[in-house]
Amino acid sequence: MSQPVIIKSNKYGINLILDPKIPFEELLDCITDKFLESEKFFRNAHVAISFEGRALSDEQEYRIIDAITTRTSIRIVCIIDNDEIREQYTKQRVEQYLADESGNTGKFYKGTLRSGQVLECETSIIIIGDVNPGAKLISIGNIVILGALKGTAYAGASGNEDCFVVALDMNPVQIKIGNIIGRSEDKGILASIRERRKAVAQPQIATVSDGHILIEPITKNTFNNL
Amino acid sequence: MSEVIVITSGKGGVGKTTTTANVGTGLAQLNKKVVLIDTDIGLRNLDVVMGLENRIVYNLVDVIEGNCRLKQALIKDKKYPNLALLPSAQTRDKSSVTPEQMKKLTDELREEFDYILLDCPAGIEQGFQNAIAGADRAVVVTTPEVSAIRDADRIIGLLEANEIKQTQLIVNRLRMDMVKRGDMMTVEDVCEILAINLIGVVPDDEQIVISTNQGEPLVGSEALAGKAFANICKRIAGEEVPFLDLQKKAGVFTRLAGLFK
Repeated sequence: MSQPVIIKSNKYGINLILDPKIPFEELLDCITDKFLESEKFFRNAHVAISFEGRALSDEQEYRIIDAITTRTSIRIVCIIDNDEIREQYTKQRVEQYLADESGNTGKFYKGTLRSGQVLECETSIIIIGDVNPGAKLISIGNIVILGALKGTAYAGASGNEDCFVVALDMNPVQIKIGNIIGRSEDKGILASIRERRKAVAQPQIATVSDGHILIEPITKNTFNNL
Repeated sequence: MSEVIVITSGKGGVGKTTTTANVGTGLAQLNKKVVLIDTDIGLRNLDVVMGLENRIVYNLVDVIEGNCRLKQALIKDKKYPNLALLPSAQTRDKSSVTPEQMKKLTDELREEFDYILLDCPAGIEQGFQNAIAGADRAVVVTTPEVSAIRDADRIIGLLEANEIKQTQLIVNRLRMDMVKRGDMMTVEDVCEILAINLIGVVPDDEQIVISTNQGEPLVGSEALAGKAFANICKRIAGEEVPFLDLQKKAGVFTRLAGLFK
């Protein structure tokens, strides 16, 4: 690394990118010099600080802060953890919790969703009515439609591919579960209406199977496999 | 008790203005006091269909802006003294009027008329918002085509969102020959998609073009479309009328043949 210390600003304050190799005492001097250089720019500023590039002990962090605050007029409000792994882990846990929760709780909506209407739901949702072409239904959890699905349904909107979509009459324009999209056949609307007329509508379920949306009739065994 | 009815469709060219002219005239034939309002500001044409263009002095925007009294702007129909038209302005645009002003206007007209029919512009923007502001109920006009039906579905959703409780459907320009061949959606197909009450089916009829060009609504005439509109008017007024059998061609020969059956 050409410079042992780089100061970068971010939306919270400043981020110090530190050289992991040079001895700590030397690094501390470099940090102090760097801040003295930019004293004028930072004068009396209140900032949050984060460290990157080097693992620091609590004592080392304290000494850096001490050096900055005693030698310059910068006020450090707080230290922000810059731990990507921890952050990702926390995010994962939160999303997992939300996904589990959304699969366990649900809302009812009575009425038909018409073209141009969008219904978004943080939990699973049960529609008592139809979802018409041009309408869109988005749920973090599962979707159950006690009526016809003729529009677009998006289950597991936070990325959960274990979610499902159930409709008494399954005729979607598009179904998305997690990140997998399935769309209807390319045939005219008149032809599809006629086809639907002929066939006896039966409840069907859409799930993700081998990276594709699979639509099949609901049988006794369907729910054992969910 | 007077009623304010908006005639709307979403898509253009499906027959809103023709329907307004014919339903308005038909209700006048039933001895109701009727006023038609053309809310399509900037694209005035209800007056042309009614054949009243040459009588226009003041218009809707003049009334709203207080340039004239409401009575001055109302044009009496040629045939029916109990039918009036409030024409739209040709040189202004939709933003000249607000929904609140429209509501005030329709409420004022309620005192004198049994039916106030609003001819809504195509689209879902301000013109539509203005037209539905004062309405008690809506008549949605569609043709049996996917584009018109999709727009009608959107409009019905917007009407529901604006708390217009009673919404009824007219399927316009149905061609029985095409339906029989399986090339056009049936009325049942349309009703299945839109799922609102059907108040009338109007066949595609060249007599409509002729009557529009003459500026005389054909409601009540012997033409099939004229009969269909007459029935719609009775249904709007609350009467129960069976639907026309559109299979029958109401030509002279079939009627003669009918006599011998």
